Amino acid sequence: MPRRDRSGRLSAGPAGPPAPVKGPQRVLDVAKQAVEAARAAGADYADGRVVADDSESITVRNQEMEGIDRSTSEGLGIRVLVNGYWGFAATARQEPEEIERTAKLAVEIAKAAARLPMEPVVLAPVEPVTGSWHSPMQVDPFNVPLEEKVAMLMEATRRMQSVEGLAFAEGGIDLFRRRTILATSEGTAIEQTTVQSGAGIEGTALGDGELQRRSFPNSFRGHISAAGWEHILKLGLIEEAERTATEAVELLSAEECPSEVTTLVLDSGQVEIQIHESIGHPVELDRVLGMEEAYAGSSFVRPEDRGSLRYASPLVSITADASLPGGLGSFGWDDEGVPAQRVPILVDGVFENFISSRETASVLGLTSSGAMRADGWAHYPLIRMTNISIEPREGSLADIIGDTDDGVFMSTNTSWSIDDHRVNFQFGCEIAWRIEKGRLTTMYRNPNYTGITTEFWGSCDAVGGREEWTLWGTPNCGKGQPGQVARVGHGASPSRFRGVQLGVRG
Amino acid sequence: MTGLIGADEVRRIADAALNLPRADGVEVLFMHEWGGLTRFASSSIHQSTHREDTGIRVRVVSEGRIGVTATNDFSPDGALRAAESALEMANVVAPDPQFPGLAPPAPIPEPQAFDEPTAQTTPSERAEAVAQLVARCPEGFTAAGAYETLASEVAVANTEGQFCWAPSSQASVTTVVTGPDGGSGFAEVFAAGRSELDPAAVGKRAADKAVASRSPRDLEPGRYTVILEPAAVSTLVGFLAWIGFGGRSLFEGRSCFTGKEGQLVAAPNVTIYDDALSEGTLGLPFDFEGVPRSRVDLIGDGVFRSGVYDLRTAKQAGTTTTGHALPPPNPEGPFPLNLFMAPGEADVDQMIASTEHGLLVTRFHYTNVVHPVESTITGMTRDGTFLIQDGRVAHPVKNLRFTQSILEALTGTEMIGRETELASEFFFSASRVPALKVSSFNFSGRSDH
Repeated sequence: MPRRDRSGRLSAGPAGPPAPVKGPQRVLDVAKQAVEAARAAGADYADGRVVADDSESITVRNQEMEGIDRSTSEGLGIRVLVNGYWGFAATARQEPEEIERTAKLAVEIAKAAARLPMEPVVLAPVEPVTGSWHSPMQVDPFNVPLEEKVAMLMEATRRMQSVEGLAFAEGGIDLFRRRTILATSEGTAIEQTTVQSGAGIEGTALGDGELQRRSFPNSFRGHISAAGWEHILKLGLIEEAERTATEAVELLSAEECPSEVTTLVLDSGQVEIQIHESIGHPVELDRVLGMEEAYAGSSFVRPEDRGSLRYASPLVSITADASLPGGLGSFGWDDEGVPAQRVPILVDGVFENFISSRETASVLGLTSSGAMRADGWAHYPLIRMTNISIEPREGSLADIIGDTDDGVFMSTNTSWSIDDHRVNFQFGCEIAWRIEKGRLTTMYRNPNYTGITTEFWGSCDAVGGREEWTLWGTPNCGKGQPGQVARVGHGASPSRFRGVQLGVRG
Repeated sequence: MTGLIGADEVRRIADAALNLPRADGVEVLFMHEWGGLTRFASSSIHQSTHREDTGIRVRVVSEGRIGVTATNDFSPDGALRAAESALEMANVVAPDPQFPGLAPPAPIPEPQAFDEPTAQTTPSERAEAVAQLVARCPEGFTAAGAYETLASEVAVANTEGQFCWAPSSQASVTTVVTGPDGGSGFAEVFAAGRSELDPAAVGKRAADKAVASRSPRDLEPGRYTVILEPAAVSTLVGFLAWIGFGGRSLFEGRSCFTGKEGQLVAAPNVTIYDDALSEGTLGLPFDFEGVPRSRVDLIGDGVFRSGVYDLRTAKQAGTTTTGHALPPPNPEGPFPLNLFMAPGEADVDQMIASTEHGLLVTRFHYTNVVHPVESTITGMTRDGTFLIQDGRVAHPVKNLRFTQSILEALTGTEMIGRETELASEFFFSASRVPALKVSSFNFSGRSDH
């Protein structure tokens, strides 16, 4: 199979991709057979997607094994259009009779959808493509001995436990590999493999009705990247273990974060989740068109807002880029065969583009931004964030804090909540400090802040530079019915916001 | 058409893993699920799916060391390969000193009825049900939602001689109806069989609320008496389970109930329990390590009674398992999946009539934890929030953010509904709960719609 050159940005590392269990050609034959069976059953358009997922997860707590598990899942999803109505059926079995049965079922589902008339689905055009792609990787993490992985977590938790007063020292490693083969009735035939590696530590301190946590490099199992074992080795879990644990213990006796309106500085990990909830989700075109109304809600952004909505201050430019090396939202093509793209979402604070699918883009007379991805073989592709990032500006976190006369600096997300139109939000962080005359002083526990999306982003008056811009991974983004989980990326720099309400109490 | 694999065939597949040489113990969790979901938006069917999958999760014990491997290759060869992979992992990790052993043989209660028509629902039947729902939307209003039929069989087999198998079925319909001037209404129903669903009634209920919630007005945040419909109550109960009822968080001191056994934690009229065997829920008769389930009283007459346990946390806490294990390796510990709040004697109209100044809340949205030990959570109202003045619904209000301690709210429970509903929560399984009237509830912010 020809290998498509992606300008070197996403080329294979020395180790190359893992060897598929089944030959790519054999799997591609399955996908093509699915397409042919669906067409024979009456589909006007069909795609067949064979997906094989592998994962490995290790958790150590207080130097004891909490869990070690591997998981594999493989199957086939068939999506069809019949007279402008969608149908989708999926099966774990790939023998010819089962493929034919599933294809017929997908067509039957599409025909049943016509019970309620609607404007027939039209797909925005895309050039058929053949090729392959895999995420960059130097050392295949699945080939690293388990003993080495466990030893790293044991040592990190040992160092955390050396801090007096710490109740729980936890460390985890998560590995994920997805192989996708897609064939469409328009002639697309592609093979992709992504390997993702992540790890993190977390210290918990308990006392006097308080539970305080500190995590490194980020909360909710750390920092995950589309990379190999080399990514985990660079994280510095062992080196940062003692500091992480010490801060958790210190938080027990820290002051409560005050309730006030003031200047707020966020670290890049918190900016990540702020982007995710209050920019990434609102610009999903399926939400805007009401397709997600019943579950996670819709969006305050309207189709006519393109090019005119002042979403944020002129310092804030946001880009969706599926071609970023290391991003959980990176790929060669999305699950409709649309190539990875770099799409400006906000340009100098003004809303410019949605992330979209072939169906939704055609509603606005556009081409797809290439954002359709499914949670494995058993699910229908949905519009999902790729890597939605704030473009770096200038300076470091230290520069931003040094330039702040009075305010609060918050680090590391603990909690997130936003309304069904993505307007009113509230976030909690693990730790905060007072900023006084450009210096961090008093530590605060239980910090949180709340705001209105466009007001908050409109108050942004500092965005850090490239040197502290981090491409974080969010492996747990939920959407859709039945529920799907997507792995998405966000590049973020430390940023500053003015006039923010902090310290919401119950 | 897809159907049950059956206990005998499941046992044959599991045996391939159970016979693994060189292991001290093996457990096989077998889960087979299939079903269709017809998803609609703007009163049209736009994403309909059908899926079938079968998963095996094998836990292997070797000299106190544990490894777990999951696969959806459910052939005997696939089961054996999974067992070998789990053994490979077990052999290189440290022993788990808390490992309690696998579940011993024990009789399992009869499973709930399996509804074959639900398991074999066709796409056309689901589409027709959606059409009935959509037909209840008034002019200018549209419906979005999902109609789902599911069937599954779950089995646990282990080398201690335990084997249990149970089929189950589930049908649900959920919708949000929206219309002009910000009108939005919600309704849902869960049942073991689709014959118990009335899509037209669900559509009418959501549509009526959407009509009533048009042109919502701004309301100043603050403390209000609230009447919470069952969908909103399910959020409180679901999060209480997440941060409080698990035996692991109790034992480790992370729960809002730690050290409060026998203490009053809610109003004396509040009783919360977990009971997978009740007809009022959708539950399995055993947990995911093969222990029979039974009713657990969590809060009785306002007093915290007990949490839920699996074998490992029961050993740690010096108690016995209540049959609430989740699939291994499960670092989070046990969890109650079939919660109930006992009904009272009031109805929502009586609650409204007795309220001088307050709010009627249909449901909450995207709730999350603020302070776990204080049981404080935050979230938004959604799909119908109304101001109550002088015992009557005065007008709809724009959505509000709440930041509130669950236990404080339950302590202020003044009235409890006599009817209960099986109501879902965004993150958790459904709970069977009534409506509540709570004396004071903290709204900390507001939105624009």
